Amino acid sequence: MAHELPYIAAIDEAITLEMQRDDTVLYFGQNMATTENEPYVDAFGKDRVRVTPISETAEIGMAVGAALAGFRPVVELYMAEFMLVAMDQVLNEAPRFRSMSGGQVKVPLVLKAGYGFTAGWAGQHTGTISSLFMGVPGLKVVVPSTAADAKGLMATAIRDDNPVVYLHHYLLTLEHGEVPDGEYLVPFGQAAIRREGGDVTIVATGWMVDRALGAAERLAAEGIQAEVIDPRTLAPLDTQTILESVDKTGRLVLVDQATRHASVASVIAGEVAEYGFSSLKAPIVQVTALDATIPYSEPLEAWVLPNEDKIVAAVQQVLGTAPVTA
Amino acid sequence: MSAPKGVKELDRDRLVWMYTQMLRIREFEERVKRTFVEHPGVIRGHTHLGDGAEASIVGSIATLGPDDQFFATYRCHGYPIARGTDTKAMMAEIYGRKDGLCKGIGGSMHLADVSNGFLGTSGIVAAGIPHATGAAWAAQIRKRGQVVLCFFGDGASKQGAFSESLNIASLWKLPIVYVMENNGYNVHTRSEQEDANRAAGEDLSVKAKAFSMPGVTIDGLDPIAVYETVGAAVARARAGGGPTLVESVMYRLSAHGNLIAPPGVPLHYPEHEAIEKFGAPEEYEAALKGDPVPAFRGRLVADGTLSAEEAERIAGDVREEMQAAVTFGLASPFPDVETALEYVYA
Amino acid sequence: MKASPLDGEQALRLLATMWRIRLFEERVGQLKRADDVHGLVHLSTGQEGVAAAVCSQLRDDDPVYSGHRAHGHAIAKGAPLDRLMAELMGRDGGLCRGLGGSMHVVDVEHGFMGATGVVGGNIPIALGSALAARRLGRDSVAVVFFGDGAVQAGQFNETVNLATLWRLPLILVCENNGFAEFTPRSAHTNVERVSDVVAPYDVERDTVDGNDVVAVWDAFGRYLASARGGRGPFLLECLTYRLGGHYEGDPGKYREALAAADWQAKDPILRLQRHGIAQGWFAADVLPALESEAAEAVEQAVRFGRESPFPPVELIEAMVYADA
Repeated sequence: MAHELPYIAAIDEAITLEMQRDDTVLYFGQNMATTENEPYVDAFGKDRVRVTPISETAEIGMAVGAALAGFRPVVELYMAEFMLVAMDQVLNEAPRFRSMSGGQVKVPLVLKAGYGFTAGWAGQHTGTISSLFMGVPGLKVVVPSTAADAKGLMATAIRDDNPVVYLHHYLLTLEHGEVPDGEYLVPFGQAAIRREGGDVTIVATGWMVDRALGAAERLAAEGIQAEVIDPRTLAPLDTQTILESVDKTGRLVLVDQATRHASVASVIAGEVAEYGFSSLKAPIVQVTALDATIPYSEPLEAWVLPNEDKIVAAVQQVLGTAPVTA
Repeated sequence: MSAPKGVKELDRDRLVWMYTQMLRIREFEERVKRTFVEHPGVIRGHTHLGDGAEASIVGSIATLGPDDQFFATYRCHGYPIARGTDTKAMMAEIYGRKDGLCKGIGGSMHLADVSNGFLGTSGIVAAGIPHATGAAWAAQIRKRGQVVLCFFGDGASKQGAFSESLNIASLWKLPIVYVMENNGYNVHTRSEQEDANRAAGEDLSVKAKAFSMPGVTIDGLDPIAVYETVGAAVARARAGGGPTLVESVMYRLSAHGNLIAPPGVPLHYPEHEAIEKFGAPEEYEAALKGDPVPAFRGRLVADGTLSAEEAERIAGDVREEMQAAVTFGLASPFPDVETALEYVYA
Repeated sequence: MKASPLDGEQALRLLATMWRIRLFEERVGQLKRADDVHGLVHLSTGQEGVAAAVCSQLRDDDPVYSGHRAHGHAIAKGAPLDRLMAELMGRDGGLCRGLGGSMHVVDVEHGFMGATGVVGGNIPIALGSALAARRLGRDSVAVVFFGDGAVQAGQFNETVNLATLWRLPLILVCENNGFAEFTPRSAHTNVERVSDVVAPYDVERDTVDGNDVVAVWDAFGRYLASARGGRGPFLLECLTYRLGGHYEGDPGKYREALAAADWQAKDPILRLQRHGIAQGWFAADVLPALESEAAEAVEQAVRFGRESPFPPVELIEAMVYADA
């Protein structure tokens, strides 16, 4: 059975269920647990749920320490860019301890952070910086695009024995979706095929998934059937599903809200160029944000980001019905 | 002498044990250093030795119970030695071998021995301070009376991670003792060149005021003073009284670490910075004269705790132990290459 | 340079500035609801006193940095209302040509070096400005505004150590309203006074009522004179009170709060007016003009903003890197 929930509430549901199930799960961060009647504090008490000062290095470092000591912390970071303050702990500590210790320890923790605040939140809050985390061995990165996946991926993230960067898209916060009741786990490394089609493969993540589906609708009216794939996790990345789709369609458009270089789009492009070359009937096209600090002004902000029009144009390009330009 | 409240008295056996651990650390570190000369090429990368810090290391570790935990820095050899970690496995680790403590994957700066409460080491200055603080939070939740010792150098106290962690530990009254080993240097920089308190001639323990935390400065060359002060802080933490900052003043007898050099240049230990860089050989000479290991031996022999013969016997045993560690390390094969991928994910 | 006490002429200038800030912020709140101004906006309504008392004593070549609640500081430092409003509307005529927005306002001409969206992010940068001033042999002074939440961030402590070690002309101004975002100070630290956080360091520090413009003027003026003479750093903790929520919600709530009796006793504008009248600096009848002039300036700013075009898209790429 299922029930309807907004995306953000689905995440809370997962955290709550996991904290009920396993009393080693902790939840802490800034601006929470400050009053007596907050649901997490009421349910799980002040040992496990705590507020911190503005101290990202200590917050994430403490999560590492608590994880080493056998707990499973979830750190509420609110915005991905705040992780940048503590990048040593995120990239150089959490993912490396297991290896460096020769497997003696594990570091099960979840760094929960919103991203993609493209609503005039301006240059320092609006980036899609998932690529910074993707290439780090030992670190997992998940990007749910639906309420159900938000729940299932958070549950899996908490149960995973590795550090996980859990990026939830700001613009999806209030998007409602059908969410399975009770325990619900979505495995990592398993892409979801959101729409089937035989003419072109479109891969998109986060908020871009709906933009891709919108583009697919418009293309269908022109007789073009697009297959839309949502990887759901960036590390591990399900390249297999993408390769199978490209084998069917021969054409690939990659949509990513991140800037072009070192984005998941460019990673997938590299994988497909290497392992799926013989399936390709046309060059791979990437639709990404332009390489700029996201501007504040509304029309400029919109202009630098991928949108439905750009996706449609990219499909037309890859089908040879539009000119190819660099 | 009577120990502070909550601190167990040091009987003869314990005192002899302390001296033995100090000597074990000294001999181990000497053998690491000698490896660069006797077996060039065996140790790669960076090592950092704790010679000079033995009194502080052992005095601190001696306060721990079996369930307690500790974190250190890239200069991490001494603590697990005092805690009982197998020195053969440690040397093999430093040599990058299969039988190493961390299977050869970590190396000198990243030792871990979970069974002994040594949960893993970061090589980044101050990064272990939040780790230890998180482990202390875990200890607080468990309510088993565990305490965490967090070791770091004076250099780390300028990092944001230090102030953020101590603030939270104080606020949450975490069961942790922060032991700042002040050896007067941060890599090749003297403390007064980078620390406003030191430049003003102050003890660094004054930094605790910023966190409403007790701070105390002690002679890190006296293992009993260290034991009593850290022991009292540990007892306080265990009883729920919250954290303490202990500044343990000492001197490191080796250079910061082995030479950092590009391929082709043999690695070795240069002279201490006081000589090489600052032109202050008399500072170094004075530190040698204050060497805590022979000083403690002399003290124990003088007051009859230890006879000269026993001291010799201990020295012989320790030399043998560390020779065995070197032999073991050299004989241990390199790990299978696939090991590199085995522990990336749990 | 010697600190000079506040006089009638200065008090009127400060009042004019404070009215401009207050009415500007009120208008921004309305425009946010109307969607003329979009994104994250943090208003300084009620905190005008500190901005005015501090910035009015500074020169254009004294670099000032702020946090995310920066409009008041920018205005008090001399940023023109029209270009600030245009910036909040995302227009080409804005201070940052629409690229920055509320949290990234910059006005180099008047020495407002920037706001930031990351708490404490500008504190080390202000340190750099102070270092530069010293290296260049100038008597300019760097000032950074931040809230009490920033004091627990590592960057604050790193900065204090270096500023003290090098004795730099840096004045740290903390607006302590007892809250960091939605969390009370007691949940952040057990050190109640921000000035106690620098207790280990030989930093001259003071705590004043941030809504008492005269007190802020005097305390800051003393530090400024000292800093120009080559001393530093300094910490001035200004106890303030934040009206309304963390970021902008309902301007009606602000109006309500401003009208409340207990606030009227604290209001920096009303207090300075009462003080000035009591001192014989001015009569009550000159005061309404200050408010109405400010209102007119704000309306002009709104008109300017609305008439300013959106920036061209080519600007984006052009701004990524500085040209060789």
